[in-house]
Amino acid sequence: MKRTILSILLALSALTAFAQAKKPTIMVMPSDLWCNKNGFMTTYDNQGVTEYIPDYHKAIISSNELLPVISQINGLMADRGFPLKNLESEIKALNQTAAEMAAVTGKDGSSVQTNPLMQLRQRANADIIIQLTWTINKIGPKYSVTYTMQGLDSYTSKEIATSTGTGAPSFTAEVPVLLAEAVNAHIDEFCDRLQRHFEDLFANGREIALNVNVFENEEDIDLEKEYGDKELREVIEDWIYDNTVSHRYHLADDSEHHMTFDEVRIPVYDDRGRAISANNFARNLVRYLKGEPCSIAKIKTLNQGQGKATIIIGNK
Amino acid sequence: MKKLLLSVLTVFVALSCAFTAQAGAKKKADKQTQAFRYDIEYVKTAGTGIVAVKVASYSKKAGIALNQCAKNAVHGVIFKGYAGNGTSMAALCKDPGAETAHSDYFKAFFAEGGEYNKYVSSVDTANSEFLKAYKEYKVSQVVYVNKAALRKALESAGIIKGLAAGF
Repeated sequence: MKRTILSILLALSALTAFAQAKKPTIMVMPSDLWCNKNGFMTTYDNQGVTEYIPDYHKAIISSNELLPVISQINGLMADRGFPLKNLESEIKALNQTAAEMAAVTGKDGSSVQTNPLMQLRQRANADIIIQLTWTINKIGPKYSVTYTMQGLDSYTSKEIATSTGTGAPSFTAEVPVLLAEAVNAHIDEFCDRLQRHFEDLFANGREIALNVNVFENEEDIDLEKEYGDKELREVIEDWIYDNTVSHRYHLADDSEHHMTFDEVRIPVYDDRGRAISANNFARNLVRYLKGEPCSIAKIKTLNQGQGKATIIIGNK
Repeated sequence: MKKLLLSVLTVFVALSCAFTAQAGAKKKADKQTQAFRYDIEYVKTAGTGIVAVKVASYSKKAGIALNQCAKNAVHGVIFKGYAGNGTSMAALCKDPGAETAHSDYFKAFFAEGGEYNKYVSSVDTANSEFLKAYKEYKVSQVVYVNKAALRKALESAGIIKGLAAGF
């Protein structure tokens, strides 16, 4: 009897663990436009082309408007049961990790391996980025704030929620106060749209993009190579069909050398309740292709962010 | 003695009639609320989670229309949504059948002295507007509704879903 009760309790606790799935992480960041207008950009030379990237650390320690706005949004979202990742803390943690990694050396003096792609990806990130832009308008002695808040899905870079507006003009109010008023007035509208995105996500799966490419290889594998009565690209498409939510995907382009899938709706969680990213999904495809009937030994998986992955067949 | 009895009876009948008429008008006002016969307009956001809306209620009795404004404001925030001053906001309850589906909850919620009063922060009675047309009054008032607390109450009652629902 005791065993039966214990088994039931264990089963119930397991079910509860599945029910409490991971929340998407959300972080508020100033937009590139705001950073550029306020002089918080850095440049680097990308093979002769000057690239601009926002300097969030400088923005946080220099702007007296940014922190109050971020705190305001963080507070309002926490009230909705959705505490946000804090940009300032994330940047501090990243800087600390980078400093620690630089200081780590092996017994023979070797340093920790890294590459430019890894360095690029090790930036403050979240599942959803709330991107903020605001401008201060001055009409005569009155000030007002026009602001835009965009919720961007890091998986697809699609805008999933937005709210924009201009606050009431004021003679006296400070800019952070005007901004707080504007955010307060529009946060409900923003959250409504965010909620619709979450509902869509649970009903129809998470949206990702997947590319399949082919290395030049000795075994002469390309996407038209036949396995049984099907070409490799048909085998891949069948697997995508079987493993997407409601079989929803779009094959944007295919040839003997590449396939481009977009709007691929993958399950939000795997059978153990863990969140699935594009990379996890691609790795499952790789496992399938390594097995029967294809038995392709060498496939490289390229992680291109949370919502995009590429597999390259024919080499590692 | 007879005159005294007649006077008492007359006063009693007159008071009963007045009370019945008042109760009838009140009941009618509640029915008008359920039928969405009121106007609601956004005025401003007055702090974290508090929204000021201008509500216009209709009744043959000005006092009843005036008293109904607070109830209509909360009803409007939950079921109707509002717009104005360049802002528009959807109703808290997106499901059009929610009021009927949870009729027991909302009957108690909007009863006289019901829970809806908890979410009315204040009423700007000093600037009430009265307009009489077609034998009834249109009374407008600015009502401050604690929308954040109202949302939490509806989420706890399982009437609306929270942002974190499903995670």
